[in-house]
Amino acid sequence: MQIQVYLSRAGAALLLGISLLAAPVGLAARADNQPLDARVPEDALQMTRKMICSLEDGKPIIHWWKGTMLSRVPGERDRVLFNVQGMNIRQCGTFSDPKKGPGFRSVSREVMLYLDPATDQVLRKWKNPWTGEELNVVHVANDPVNMRGPMFAHNDQGKAHEFGGMFVKDKVWTSGEAPLFYDNPMAGDYQDLVGNKYQAIEMLNSFTDAKWLLNRKQKTLPTVTISWARVSDWIPWMKMAGRPGLVVFTTVGKRVATIDELSEPLRSEIRNTYPLYLAPPPLDDARPNETSWTYIKKMVDAQRAAAK
Amino acid sequence: MNTKIKIVSGLSAVLAVMWIGQPLDALAARKSKPVDLSNPDELFKVQIKASCSTVSGKPTLYWWSGHMYSRVPGEKDTLLFNVHGMNTRRCEIKTDPKKGLCYRSVSREVMFYLDPVTNEVLRNWKNPWTGETVPVIQVANDPVNLQPTQRFFCARDEEGKPVTRDGMFVKDDVVLEGGGAARLFYKNPLAGDYQDYVGGTYHAMEFGSTAIPLASAQNANITEFSDSVISWGRVSRWIPWMKMGDREGLVIFHTAGMRLDNFGQLPDVVRREIETNYPQYREPPPLDDARPNETSWTVFKKYIDAKRAADGPAK
Repeated sequence: MQIQVYLSRAGAALLLGISLLAAPVGLAARADNQPLDARVPEDALQMTRKMICSLEDGKPIIHWWKGTMLSRVPGERDRVLFNVQGMNIRQCGTFSDPKKGPGFRSVSREVMLYLDPATDQVLRKWKNPWTGEELNVVHVANDPVNMRGPMFAHNDQGKAHEFGGMFVKDKVWTSGEAPLFYDNPMAGDYQDLVGNKYQAIEMLNSFTDAKWLLNRKQKTLPTVTISWARVSDWIPWMKMAGRPGLVVFTTVGKRVATIDELSEPLRSEIRNTYPLYLAPPPLDDARPNETSWTYIKKMVDAQRAAAK
Repeated sequence: MNTKIKIVSGLSAVLAVMWIGQPLDALAARKSKPVDLSNPDELFKVQIKASCSTVSGKPTLYWWSGHMYSRVPGEKDTLLFNVHGMNTRRCEIKTDPKKGLCYRSVSREVMFYLDPVTNEVLRNWKNPWTGETVPVIQVANDPVNLQPTQRFFCARDEEGKPVTRDGMFVKDDVVLEGGGAARLFYKNPLAGDYQDYVGGTYHAMEFGSTAIPLASAQNANITEFSDSVISWGRVSRWIPWMKMGDREGLVIFHTAGMRLDNFGQLPDVVRREIETNYPQYREPPPLDDARPNETSWTVFKKYIDAKRAADGPAK
């Protein structure tokens, strides 16, 4: 769900039906009882921040989702390979810059489990139907998944922050895609020449009620529903090497108040196996981001070193 | 048609009209007990209210917007078009002594390919891979019905047991549905008679999700939701009019949208295009519509066959 880190795509708010953005412009609009005004960069930034986390520094925000992972191989019907259950736990901190104005940055940890599509049990082993090989399942456990730097009311070029959401009737949502194409950490040093780049697209929709988003006093949105999807290369632990095909994740979920509200077996698995993921990383976390690819590379490298 | 249902529907229809522009939900909710969503019959009713309406024949409308990308191995996924889609649907509602409440839906659907910069409906498009400028054939599928006509979705099976629907569930203050996909893999109407041997099969995956506020789902007086939000996505082969032939690659759609109350709430660009070029899409088809469904592939086949006939034999 790294998409929220990338969601800076400029999107003009499309107004339909009753416009809730029709707030008076000017200083009066900044009063506590006035709704946030998307035309004011500082307000627009608060709206973006509320969709991602909370206006309250250090408040843990948990997003939960469940769905399926499917294969797509040319010439064969798509297969449901796994059910999945995932969660991201994050917090935001406030920043300030003399030129760029107020800002924020989110830091998070993320787990997603691959489950048996028939029983919903956590999979430990998986028999690859294309190669026949039995493999260890490596679940997603990415620590951290952070915004690289803070997002400010004005960017480096002085451009005002725009809230990329859409207001329709009494709802508001952000919808975006992050096409990812960069050097694959598990591939070689000449990828521009011989290929094997990391290629994926992450897609996320987040929905809430406009009255909550625009209410200046509502620091944390009471309900956010999400839909997350992803199309990418085979996951490295599947050991598909260069075979044609890709995987598609499709999920639905929402914000939940506490770890206790996660679905099973995700909740127990986090408590038993990934206790670090019960809380977000510290606000000043400066580590580089982890992805399934960097995580599995470390694991494979460690296994290779141990085998020597 | 069961009389009891008819009476309930009639009352609900009156309430629905009253609700326009008036926040009477709270008042209406107080008048009756919250619907018990652990009852599979009630959850099935929620599904009908999300898909269309429990009032037989009442037109409903969904709208969604988002993007279409290309996926070509070795190339960063590229934004090709903004898209805006709309489906207008009505359901025939009936009750069966054994199967309980049943419905069959009929609908029409458009989706327009828009210039990603100007957001205007595209008439022609220069294919960046082939360099050829091709006419853009918008999605205009009439009908998109539950087939065949005698097929109804019902709350219960022949033995009267509730039909398991693992798709829809209550979580906190919302009812959610999604996380699965329709895996489409069938004979491509545009390809030849030996697809099992030489390929060309129609191959697509569609995925979507729905979120409905629990308060609406629990309100027995509501006949169709006006506050359900949706996500829709799709991974498929190149759209035929792109003229990509056998070139490797796929297209990916990703959109978000919601139920609208009337045609007038559609964004201008969509409403204008429908009024100008697709006027029959303002209303769903009649309940007894027995025509076979259209897809972008069948629509395009008709278009290209007509064009070939007009142009004379291929050179």
